Amino acid sequence: MTIADKLVLQRQQHLKWRSFDRLELVLMIVCGLLCFGFSLSVMFDIITRTVGHPWLWLQEVTSTLFIYAIFIGAAVATRRNDHLYLTGISESLHGTPRLIVEIAIRLVVLAVASCLIWYGYLNYLRGFGSFRLPSGTPIASLYAVIPLSGALIALFTVEQLVNGISKGFDHPEPPEEDFAIPPIDAGAPMGPLP
Amino acid sequence: MSAPVILALMSFCFLFFGYLGVPVPFSLMAGVFVGATLADVSLAAIIQKIFDGVDSEALLAIPFFLLVGELMSSANVVVRIANLSLSLVGHIRGGLSQVVVVFSMFFSEMSGSTTADVAVMSRALGGPMKREGYSPAFIAAIIASASTIAALVPPSITAVVYGAVGNVSIAGLFMAGVVPGLMIGFGLMIYCYFFGPSGMRKPRAPFRQVAFATADAALPLMIPVILLGGILTGWFTPTEAGVVAVVWIIAVVIPALNRGHFRKIPYDFCLAGLIFSLPLITIGAANAFGWMLAYLRGAIVIADWITSIAGNDPQYMMLLLVLLFTIVGDFIEPVPTIIIFMPLVNALTQAGDINGVHMGVVLIATLAFGLITPPYGLVLLMASKFVGVSFGKALRAALPIYVVFLVTICFTIYFPKVVLWLPKQVIPESVGCFKSPAGTGYICPN
Repeated sequence: MTIADKLVLQRQQHLKWRSFDRLELVLMIVCGLLCFGFSLSVMFDIITRTVGHPWLWLQEVTSTLFIYAIFIGAAVATRRNDHLYLTGISESLHGTPRLIVEIAIRLVVLAVASCLIWYGYLNYLRGFGSFRLPSGTPIASLYAVIPLSGALIALFTVEQLVNGISKGFDHPEPPEEDFAIPPIDAGAPMGPLP
Repeated sequence: MSAPVILALMSFCFLFFGYLGVPVPFSLMAGVFVGATLADVSLAAIIQKIFDGVDSEALLAIPFFLLVGELMSSANVVVRIANLSLSLVGHIRGGLSQVVVVFSMFFSEMSGSTTADVAVMSRALGGPMKREGYSPAFIAAIIASASTIAALVPPSITAVVYGAVGNVSIAGLFMAGVVPGLMIGFGLMIYCYFFGPSGMRKPRAPFRQVAFATADAALPLMIPVILLGGILTGWFTPTEAGVVAVVWIIAVVIPALNRGHFRKIPYDFCLAGLIFSLPLITIGAANAFGWMLAYLRGAIVIADWITSIAGNDPQYMMLLLVLLFTIVGDFIEPVPTIIIFMPLVNALTQAGDINGVHMGVVLIATLAFGLITPPYGLVLLMASKFVGVSFGKALRAALPIYVVFLVTICFTIYFPKVVLWLPKQVIPESVGCFKSPAGTGYICPN
């Protein structure tokens, strides 16, 4: 299995359109690049400061990549169902109750995503009045990621909603085996302690 | 509509949606949007608060600490730490349960994440413990309890969030977390020795084997040295220390110990880029929720209620706050709890003239305890899932272990001088000390 295959989650395929797998892959790669990017910019920040010639704009680059990574990561996590959950009540339900709860969950997420799109867009427009230092770039360049993230969240939620209603939400999943840590060799025991 | 009714509705929406199965950040946002609409607060202002919640330099440490944990786990160097723990304490009564605790004390100093610890320990030690006859319920209980150490000792992500949001020294919180972290660690070892299953008898590892295991684990064990050494000497901020640790793993640890892992590093970055966004988007949403709580004067109302009972007695105040956090922590995760209740914590810290680092470490210990208490003990839930035992059985096995946590929390509240001794010695400024005008030593508040 290549890294690209591993990056697209194979769980809950019944809730996904295969054509969106490529989008998930692209977004995962973007997350990795952003993460690598701000790691690199922090490292260069340390180096340039240590040699006595700090590049002040590096901090601006770092915060931009960091903010973009958070909101894009949150969007792709919606498709992968990787977000933090308080409980999995819906997973213990079956039939019509499950369908109702799953639809209600997606409608709430869709409502939140709509707010992120519209009010995030209003913030983005307002962001042209404030500027970041030292580059003087409008802060709208940062705010732009909020409606973008909202749009992606809405897109992935609609994908789950349409597929869930047509194919059902309740599908058995194989156990997850994505964690490559072997058990340790605890050595040969000599018998129970006295 | 009155402020208390709006607050109650906001909280109800958050908990109702959350327990229905809506992801935590979206249920928080839904609650805030409902509250803001009723309170006539612009929703664009709420979006701004979500953004402000994550736009913090200190929070940048989180992805690096998570990346360190991710690289350490997937590069398979954890086996070396486990072997070292086994050679050190595998022969003591309790056997592998002692190994779990010592492993967690080592690994916590690298990952800073309770969930990373519980996942790694369940995989690396759960199977061998089952084969040696430990009950799955006890395995889940001890692994979950030991993994909470990561919330206290450096580089605790919970401490980073607390410090960043509460404007408290993160390095001070790291240092102050050492005593309660060690108390939980040694408390669990004592519990396993006297009250846990005896395990299988193993010969004491000869000195040569211990030395070999230590040398084998030396490179990964440098990570806590880099993290703490860099922060304490003032060379790096916690964020920079995190990135230096990542560079150390990529440039030294992986080439020396697991060269084949190099081609998987891009995958680790992609995964870390996703994983770190999960707590951070929750932080953003919780920041908006906390702001609404403060805007509607909810924090002041609860603070007044606590001070009306406790007066100005700081310890009594902290006990009541611990009680509140224990209840809240049973339903909500530590990170959103810290952010939502930070206005309240700040108000009480001022009212009781409590040291910010002391208050922080008490609340972090309480929230660590909340990770293994019902109904939503996240790490106990995870451990029971990984080990393959019902949550109820794991909970029953964990109940006696609660004593270790309760003793630690009470000790942390009533003995601030012991808890703050280490930060006072290493980074005096972090606990409010300032340089003596005479130029020798520091003057510290009592």
